[in-house]
Amino acid sequence: MMPVSAFRIFFQTGAWMILAFLVLPLLVVIPVSLTDTSYIGLPKEHLSMQHYVNYFSDTEWLHATWSSIWIGLVVASCAAVLGTAFAIGCWFLSDRASAIARWILITPILVPPVVQSLGFYRFWVQLGLIDTSLGVILAHTLLALPYVSISVFAALVNLDRNIPRAARSLGASVWQTVLAVVVPAAKPGILTGFVFAFIVSFDEIVGVLFITVRRVTTLPKKIWEGIQDNIDPTIAAVATLLVLLTLLITAITALRRTS
Amino acid sequence: MTDTTDFEAKRDIADIAVERYKQGRLTRRGFIAAMGALGILPALGSKVSAQANEIVVVNWGGTAKDVLEEVLAETYTAETGVPVVIDGSGPSAGKIRAMVESGAVVWDLCDSGAGSAIILEQQGITQPIDYSIVDKSKVLEGTAYNNGVGNYIYSYVLATNPKMLGGNVPQNWADVWNTKDFPGMRTFRKSVRGMLESATMAQGIAPEEVYSVLNTEDGIAAAIAKFRELRENIIVWGSGSDSQNLFLQEEVAIGNIWSTRAHLLKDQMDEGSFQVSFNGGVMAPGIWVVPKDNPAGTEEVMKFIAHAQKPELQVKWLELLGSGPINPAAAPMVPEELARWNPTSPENLATQILYNDEWYAKHQVAAEEMYVDALIN
Amino acid sequence: MGRLNEKVSYWMLVAPALTIMIVFYILPVLGIWEIAFTEPTTGVDNFVKMAESSAVKTSFVLTFRVAAITTLGCLLLGYIVAYSISNFANKFTPLMLALVILPFWVSVLIRSFSWIVLLGRSGLVNDTLRDTGIIDSPLRLMHNEFGVLIAMIHVMLPFAILPMMTNMRGISDAYVKAARGLGASEWTAFWNVYFPQTIPGVMSGALLVFVLSLGFYVTPALLGGGRVLMISEYITYQIQEFLNWGLGSALSVGLLVATALVLLIASRFINLRSALLERK
Repeated sequence: MMPVSAFRIFFQTGAWMILAFLVLPLLVVIPVSLTDTSYIGLPKEHLSMQHYVNYFSDTEWLHATWSSIWIGLVVASCAAVLGTAFAIGCWFLSDRASAIARWILITPILVPPVVQSLGFYRFWVQLGLIDTSLGVILAHTLLALPYVSISVFAALVNLDRNIPRAARSLGASVWQTVLAVVVPAAKPGILTGFVFAFIVSFDEIVGVLFITVRRVTTLPKKIWEGIQDNIDPTIAAVATLLVLLTLLITAITALRRTS
Repeated sequence: MTDTTDFEAKRDIADIAVERYKQGRLTRRGFIAAMGALGILPALGSKVSAQANEIVVVNWGGTAKDVLEEVLAETYTAETGVPVVIDGSGPSAGKIRAMVESGAVVWDLCDSGAGSAIILEQQGITQPIDYSIVDKSKVLEGTAYNNGVGNYIYSYVLATNPKMLGGNVPQNWADVWNTKDFPGMRTFRKSVRGMLESATMAQGIAPEEVYSVLNTEDGIAAAIAKFRELRENIIVWGSGSDSQNLFLQEEVAIGNIWSTRAHLLKDQMDEGSFQVSFNGGVMAPGIWVVPKDNPAGTEEVMKFIAHAQKPELQVKWLELLGSGPINPAAAPMVPEELARWNPTSPENLATQILYNDEWYAKHQVAAEEMYVDALIN
Repeated sequence: MGRLNEKVSYWMLVAPALTIMIVFYILPVLGIWEIAFTEPTTGVDNFVKMAESSAVKTSFVLTFRVAAITTLGCLLLGYIVAYSISNFANKFTPLMLALVILPFWVSVLIRSFSWIVLLGRSGLVNDTLRDTGIIDSPLRLMHNEFGVLIAMIHVMLPFAILPMMTNMRGISDAYVKAARGLGASEWTAFWNVYFPQTIPGVMSGALLVFVLSLGFYVTPALLGGGRVLMISEYITYQIQEFLNWGLGSALSVGLLVATALVLLIASRFINLRSALLERK
């Protein structure tokens, strides 16, 4: 057993302090959401649920939340299907052309959000997609595709190329091989990709600001307008719900993994 | 096509109403206007189909639409039997132009701005106002054009928080630039509109001289230099609600903001912690314009404009939205407690100047560039 | 013939995603180049204007400065976390890992909002400091570059930690042990033996954070008070306030080119493939 050295103390306490910096600011929304005042601040006299009541009784907030959820699910499904097919195709090909295709598919990660949103805006105007759910779904699917293709491809790295080859030589068609052999192997990657795609869509703000006007409102847009227009503690309530939900899901997955 | 109308100010008036009543939706700022001005129009304008004997009035939506409906439309219909339909889809100059050029005009009367009114007039898109029906004397001097007439007024004003300043409140723009006696943060708009004027007055230039000074390059440079000097004490507001928040959150104690936002803040802030001075304010008018070949015919629309000039109706506007009556005769009818918040009360008129659209048409683009540079460089 | 047929079917899997990406993404983004050269007049006017404008120059410098400081901050803080997680395994390691990943799932908007709540003039930090008598008048923590940097480092930190951890996972402790066996102190062994092996991970993290920071919009727009005008915000400013699509697009092209240059330069030092294409 080595004595605890200064080196160790430096890194370990440092790491915990930095993790506190990373996580604690997320939690400040909790007390603020319980404030009894009508402005952002800590509770003055007593805790109040009024801002949660406000959220759950405000049709605009609920509508925006629902929009974000269903758009996110549609986006995740579309991106998961398209991205999985893409990654599997590229995995089989594994040549120079498919590598270029993979680079093309991840450009949305590298292009600044404002720039791509300008592009969307101009094109969507021509297509008549401005302020439509379809327009948002299409844009978000494009933004989510890189994540699906990366995670599916990562899952396939461990798949032995001889297995599909064997299936083929036993007479299975290309499609049968893909469905019966490759897709099951890619499953963890597809699932991760699906979750990523949902989150990308659920959190996306800059594109939505450009391509929607008033008919389509998502949760981030509502939060954005709330922050800009009137900082009222309802946002803190929404933020708290989202943070707690995240904590819960993280905890559940962590427990599952350990058990 | 340059469009010097301040769309955001208009939309802001709509937004304010939203806050008032907590209903209706805000429009995404800038974008409808952008589409119109770019000439990229999705479906033309509104779904309102114009029938004979009805007037379609277009403004910028939100609950300003409801107020317009309640204050002007219903009273007009009650009086004349002519139905009035309000469309809140935002009559940008580009949209009006596209509509007239396409020959499918469905709008009768549009809430535009001075800049757009002048451009539309030059391009032959709008009709002359019939001043035998509309009374020229019932609008503020300088807001009666050939093809457009004043509708309401909002001002850029000096807003302060006396409580934060310990009662030591700036009285004029020169004081605002005096950070020694009046420390703390100020807020100015993220655009030169209504801002360069205050920086010019801060140099001791008389209000009536402001635009002639700003018409010289030196004049602009001097105003910009004033902002450069003050920038460490500046937080910028982008939208009207931004400016409101900065005061509510006590991020600033001094600012140049819209009188319509001040109208809201006076009710939201604690007693004695908000105050406005119209000293050195800049008044910007909303302007009615009538598209060529409007479906309801010229005469009917002129009658409606004349109806809207009634002072008692304009006072209602002030009460509900904070936009000031364009008709000087309305001032005496304003309830006493609101008088000092009225941009067009005689006392406030005496200390303000009128927003000069011609100047903006000529110099705004260059000035904006220098303004940004002064604030961030 | 069979092989060719097979290839065609694989390309048919690739085609749908690739096609919509090219038609609905790549082409619109390239369309911005066209606007930059054609609006309001055809030619390079917008770029001349851009080059002459001192505000644009300032904004570019500011953008690179903020991105660079953010990157440095993230690397320094991120390294400490990544090192601890990778090298001091104990029962808390899974928790630490979860805490790194957690903020990833919380939207940037919410995180920026949290910082507004914390750093405002009457925010929690100022209120606490004032209540405890440490300060008399509130500090300016927000609406300036400081506030933007704090929030940006907070948002970008996980992007720096994860690639470094991936890299550290692959480093064998044999070398450090050998160095220690030969009498090197813990610090010396770390600095001379361990650290050099982590350079690739550090570089990947740096690249990711830097590129993402260059184009960042939300946090500076919400916390900058209008005076920390990074290029992305400048672009929206040109377009929303002045309908100036020409200059806005030219600025976008400038930002795209800058991003591409950074990637190009980085590709000389970093395996971009593993940093971007095959990142986990």
